[in-house]
Amino acid sequence: MSAPSNYFYDGQIRRYISQFIRMMSDFYVAFGADRNGNISYQRVPVVYGDQSRQAATILRNNSENTLNSVPAMAVYISGLSFDQARLQDPTFTQTMQIRQRHFDNETGTYTSQEGQSYSVERLMPAPYKLTLKLDIWTSNTEQKLQLVEQLSQLFKPALELQSTDNYIDWASLTYVLLTDTTWDSRSVPTGSEEPISIATLTFEMPIWISTSVKVKKMGVIQKVITNFQELETMAEIGQTVTTVNNYGIMLYNVGSNYFLKLLKPSDIVTANTYGIDAVTAQHSWTQLIGEYGEYRANSSEIRISTPNDSEIIGTIAINPTDDSVLIFNPFNDTLPANTMQNINAIIDPLTVNVNSFLTNPAVGTRYLLVNDVGDYENGSDGAEAWKGTSGQNLVAHANDIVEYNGNFWRVVFDSQLVDSLQYVTNLTTGIQYKWQHHQWTKSYDGVYNAGEWMLVL
Amino acid sequence: MARLSLWKDGKHSNDYKFFDRRISEMFTVGGTGILCHKYLGPIAQGAQITTTGVSTVNTDVLTVSNTGNVNLGDTITCSNVPTNAKVIAKNATTITLSANITANIASGTTVGVSQYASQPSYTNQSEKNIQDLLWLENRDRKYDTDVYKMRGIYQRQDQDFDLSQFGLFLQTGTIFMVFHLRDMVDLIGRKLMNGDVLELQHLTDYDALDQDVPAALKRYYVVGDASFASEGFTPTWWPHLWRVKLNPLVDSQEYKDILNNITVGNNNTPISQILSNYDKNIQVNDAVIREGEANVPLSGYDTSSLYVQPESIPPQPLRTADDVVDKADEIHDTADEGLLTAQDVPYAYLSGDKVAPNAVAMGMGIQFPQNALSGEFFLRTDYLPNRVFRYDGKRWVAINDVQRTSLTQGANNQTQLGTFVNASGSFVNADGNTVNVKQSLSKALTPKADN
Repeated sequence: MSAPSNYFYDGQIRRYISQFIRMMSDFYVAFGADRNGNISYQRVPVVYGDQSRQAATILRNNSENTLNSVPAMAVYISGLSFDQARLQDPTFTQTMQIRQRHFDNETGTYTSQEGQSYSVERLMPAPYKLTLKLDIWTSNTEQKLQLVEQLSQLFKPALELQSTDNYIDWASLTYVLLTDTTWDSRSVPTGSEEPISIATLTFEMPIWISTSVKVKKMGVIQKVITNFQELETMAEIGQTVTTVNNYGIMLYNVGSNYFLKLLKPSDIVTANTYGIDAVTAQHSWTQLIGEYGEYRANSSEIRISTPNDSEIIGTIAINPTDDSVLIFNPFNDTLPANTMQNINAIIDPLTVNVNSFLTNPAVGTRYLLVNDVGDYENGSDGAEAWKGTSGQNLVAHANDIVEYNGNFWRVVFDSQLVDSLQYVTNLTTGIQYKWQHHQWTKSYDGVYNAGEWMLVL
Repeated sequence: MARLSLWKDGKHSNDYKFFDRRISEMFTVGGTGILCHKYLGPIAQGAQITTTGVSTVNTDVLTVSNTGNVNLGDTITCSNVPTNAKVIAKNATTITLSANITANIASGTTVGVSQYASQPSYTNQSEKNIQDLLWLENRDRKYDTDVYKMRGIYQRQDQDFDLSQFGLFLQTGTIFMVFHLRDMVDLIGRKLMNGDVLELQHLTDYDALDQDVPAALKRYYVVGDASFASEGFTPTWWPHLWRVKLNPLVDSQEYKDILNNITVGNNNTPISQILSNYDKNIQVNDAVIREGEANVPLSGYDTSSLYVQPESIPPQPLRTADDVVDKADEIHDTADEGLLTAQDVPYAYLSGDKVAPNAVAMGMGIQFPQNALSGEFFLRTDYLPNRVFRYDGKRWVAINDVQRTSLTQGANNQTQLGTFVNASGSFVNADGNTVNVKQSLSKALTPKADN
């Protein structure tokens, strides 16, 4: 069963306690000479004092006859209070940019090369004051003196304590402050009772209790790398946008597959007969990505800024046979959706080959025209190839979309009347086109200049 | 006819003896078996040396076998030596006392030497001795290796465990047991006293949770208080019973002479390892320490997995008038380009470690390598703390000190505190004497006998 999304527990106080017990551990007391003249030293165990009854029974071997060992020390929490004085901006968020060394999964070691890059967002933790008591049970005064002398010199008046050694954990460092010492739980005179002798040291620990952090792939920072010293005015800051190595990219498709190539400003992009872009220059994606981090197939992303301020986002994978080509798998929800039915082709009605695709098309065939066809003023005799079964003429303007309804061609998209943004895909090339500003342009295929895309590793 | 009286002017009459025998018989008939570990007194502490010659009365010199363990100011305990006599001078075979001896001391006499006057080194084994006259306590107790079989009577009662911070204690564990006075004195030579340890055989636990223990768990009590039992007075007004207050024994320093010397099982396991929860507490403690060590293996922060972006041009040393003219191959942005610089080390509190940035190869030793390449890292292990250097082509630039250290107590703890507490080793001074590095502040370089 997976944890609910609103569940969070990191064992923070547990770590403080375990470190505190560690701090108080491994102290020894010396016993006097035994009957053979040998002096011995006994390590003093430190346990958590608020133990469960069952655990205590197990430790006692479920027997009345088990002997409790002394000397011993016990740690327990006597208070946990919110520390108002240390309260800071509770909404403060700090982001760390972390670059890791590459981890070689085969050897299980880090290499000297750059690996994953992350952004870590940390929210201001809550300040608390943790009060701990350390009870020291001894069977005689000399034992107590030995332990107190060893312990008390540590605190002048505090000793640092870490709960983790994680570079990111800004709440891990605290200190243990000795605030009070109770010499003995017994009173003098003792009387007829024989209580055990317990000395108590009271400590305060200012701690932070944090919520979870957000770990994200580092990417945004890599888009804008600006040398501010080269800027003359602050206004230029907002105008200076660069992309990795000032590369542009070319997005193109083959069928339903999309690809990306790197472009330098000097590279020449050409389009083939079908309008698909091509470039002969080849630049290595592997080399480029290597400068910024570690690429992960189908996880690393490229984000492309479109002119209408949206982004096309997709995962990438380097073509195993040609590292100048990046396989781009856009997320469908980041692609603009068609607003009209697909078209079968884009044709020039003046030069199109007249064949069965024109004279005997399937019902619903749709073409985008790049030139006018027919004449409204000469409605009696239009182009033969576009006439319907009953001789209906077709009159359409360039940029119109016509559709065959089984009997004749008719205009289904009148470029003279439509002003709104429209998207349609050409089934022949798979390219989506966009109707805007009274012209058809490629929707997202094409060239994007430096600054219009980013690499998210 | 004399008036009838069971009180016989302080004499133990036949009536008393009649009663006493009948009472003793009742213990034989109805008492429970008790094994008594008799307290013999504190174990002799300090040094014990032997005289090798006769010391005559009214002299202050003792001839002894060895004075290696004797220091000026030590207190001497020996018959015919005045109380609190101190050593005021010594040589290899004699010690001079601060007071004359009160009678001749024969050769072969044991002499006790103690550092503290309040902790005499007793030469006689006696329950009357007190080990520490300042704290008035006997910590290291000696018990008779013989075990005395006795009979005692007490009232059983239900008892509950009290869950304390140190585990479960028997809340009503204290019991009051009566013994036949004369039988007790005849058997052990005295009355039971505070510190005597009794084993109640009938409370032996054969069914501990851990069935792998090599022996049944014995029940031990230690005598807390002792006095005449009120119910033990007969019409003769003489007491016949000795009532002792028994507290459950704990595994403490005071009873190690019993718990470490009684062995059970085929492996002669000390009974303390079976009865005491010490080992389990240590296991629990160790588990917590291991968890703490897993969370913080070393002090400071672990930045070893972080990648450091190389910079193209490292900082150059200041030039002086003595510098030769740059050679043709000293071009800054070629040979050293892309190497990590001192500024590349990520800042984190106490994060200095024995690795170079990005864990690039790094040599180590007590002197820098000859013909080092620009950008080369080197760990100097003769620096304390160890220090990582980087060669920039002209000088070795200190990158970081190795600050990360274990925080667990012990030799690996190289914190400032740890290096004092764990200071080890010694050196030989000009006189050829070995001097320990770690010494108590109060005793470091204190004067020694120079007579």
